[in-house]
Amino acid sequence: MMRIVPREEYCIGCRLCEVHCIVQHSRSKDIIKAFKKEKRPVKRVEVEEEGHVSFALQCRHCDDAPCVTACLSGAMQRDPETGVVTNDTERCVGCWTCILVCPFAAVRRDEGERKVVGKCDFCPDLDTPACVANCPNEALIMVEE
Amino acid sequence: MLTYDYAIVGNSAAAINAVESIRARDAAGSIGLFCEEKYRCYSRPLISYLVAGDIDTKGMYYRPGTFYRRMGVDFHPGERVTSVSSSKRTITTAGRERIKWGSLLLATGFTPFIPPIEGLDEVEHITFISWDDARDMLRLTAKPVRALVVGAGLIGMKAAEALHARGARVTVVEKLDRVLPLALDDRASELVAERCGEADIEILTGSSVALLHGRGGHGGTAVLDDGAEMEFDLLVMAVGVRPRTELAEAMGLPCERGIEVDEYQRTKVRDIYAAGDAVAAMDIVLGRPSINALWPVAALQGKYAGMNMAGDERAYPGCNSMNAVEFFGLPVLSAGIVNPPAQGYQVIVRQDEDGYRKAVLQGDVLVGMLMAGRIERAGILTSLIQERANVRRVRNSLLDEGFGHIHLPRAVRRERIEEAVAGLKAAGADRGRGE
Repeated sequence: MMRIVPREEYCIGCRLCEVHCIVQHSRSKDIIKAFKKEKRPVKRVEVEEEGHVSFALQCRHCDDAPCVTACLSGAMQRDPETGVVTNDTERCVGCWTCILVCPFAAVRRDEGERKVVGKCDFCPDLDTPACVANCPNEALIMVEE
Repeated sequence: MLTYDYAIVGNSAAAINAVESIRARDAAGSIGLFCEEKYRCYSRPLISYLVAGDIDTKGMYYRPGTFYRRMGVDFHPGERVTSVSSSKRTITTAGRERIKWGSLLLATGFTPFIPPIEGLDEVEHITFISWDDARDMLRLTAKPVRALVVGAGLIGMKAAEALHARGARVTVVEKLDRVLPLALDDRASELVAERCGEADIEILTGSSVALLHGRGGHGGTAVLDDGAEMEFDLLVMAVGVRPRTELAEAMGLPCERGIEVDEYQRTKVRDIYAAGDAVAAMDIVLGRPSINALWPVAALQGKYAGMNMAGDERAYPGCNSMNAVEFFGLPVLSAGIVNPPAQGYQVIVRQDEDGYRKAVLQGDVLVGMLMAGRIERAGILTSLIQERANVRRVRNSLLDEGFGHIHLPRAVRRERIEEAVAGLKAAGADRGRGE
């Protein structure tokens, strides 16, 4: 499957990946509306930064994903065909067990209309996930595995 | 006589994850699954969400309705297994039917522990572990009631919260001096108790029910050990649970704490496996088998049992105690040892307006953590506990808001990020890495 690989030697810590992730997961997909007018969706990628080092990390879509095994409701599932781990927000009850077990802190609380978790879904509507497509320095790249 | 390559007793987290593991490895082997309840697999932890009205009955199911058919499982709901013969390799159901198996999984779960209280047999009570319990509770709270919950563990507190959501006036009685005594520490318990208090749930810690007077049905009067009396319309007994070992014991399997298994989830008898809440599983923090009757632990054990039943040799990586709870908007996560004995541990605590955090170290190894309020990056600490990683270089930043992979040595974080892709610490073979 395709994976997103962070390259810290190229990351400049601009956080455009976070911005575009939020826009892509917003209702309008419009940057101004997403940040200023609508309920802002939770970001599914996060830049870690310390001094001059930074990199962006999102769900690794682990082969043996701990969030899938730990999920109480069965909402978190790995698609056997694509390998993508997605959370079915209809079934998610917001118990936070996945937050407890994700070694990458790649799952976040999204307390919008209902309590659920938000995570990287590989942007199913796009050819290339928004964070990768909008990284100005190729610090996030797609790798076929 | 019915014959299955794989027979499974039980239909919850361990059983279902075992089915998926088996099927991923063996497309053809026949699987028969037996359970005494009439429901297809549902999530027991969700019954409090159902009673509170957060989800509907459709939301209770752990897997879609097509699951058994898609997995090629002969599902036998409402068929309780009453005995196992290891020599004849059969199980017998309550309907006296005998079924032959190639390998067998005991995923029998737990049973509520009911303490002896004088007068208890005069009062109908709810143990709040099953869907039927949730139905009873919904029916009985159709009109406003006064509810008494005995026990402030996870089940008792979740029952209290659900009852509150149903408009009941709730009192919780707990023998120990704090709520959620096993999952939390004093401070976090206090935070949870405060929230519950603000919602008007009455919590009486350091208190127990000495005597009950029934008035027919579910109502009655409780006399507490200090002599105080309280009337109730609904009684929830949530003192604790016990592993359900009767089938295993009747076979002569060792079951001191729970059914004993090796690292491949095998019992002492060839081709009989066990997984889930009935099993004393290796706790990697305590370094000995322990009962952690928790959904994620059961699911992972079931997954490994299934792999090994289908011929893979993969050792269960071990578990640790872990809890994710939320009460009235306060999320609390904990893992490992949160209440260390005085000697031999170091405790780091941080409290600010965003919440309360705690890390417990034994030497350079993180053995426990607790986060209340701001919980976002908790999983990184849980994984360090699980890996028994050396955290000497990062111990001062463990509780920082932005603590993450950036603080780990470059080689370690690269390995972690790449390892996820290659099957996350699958075999547990690298346990102890970094020590």
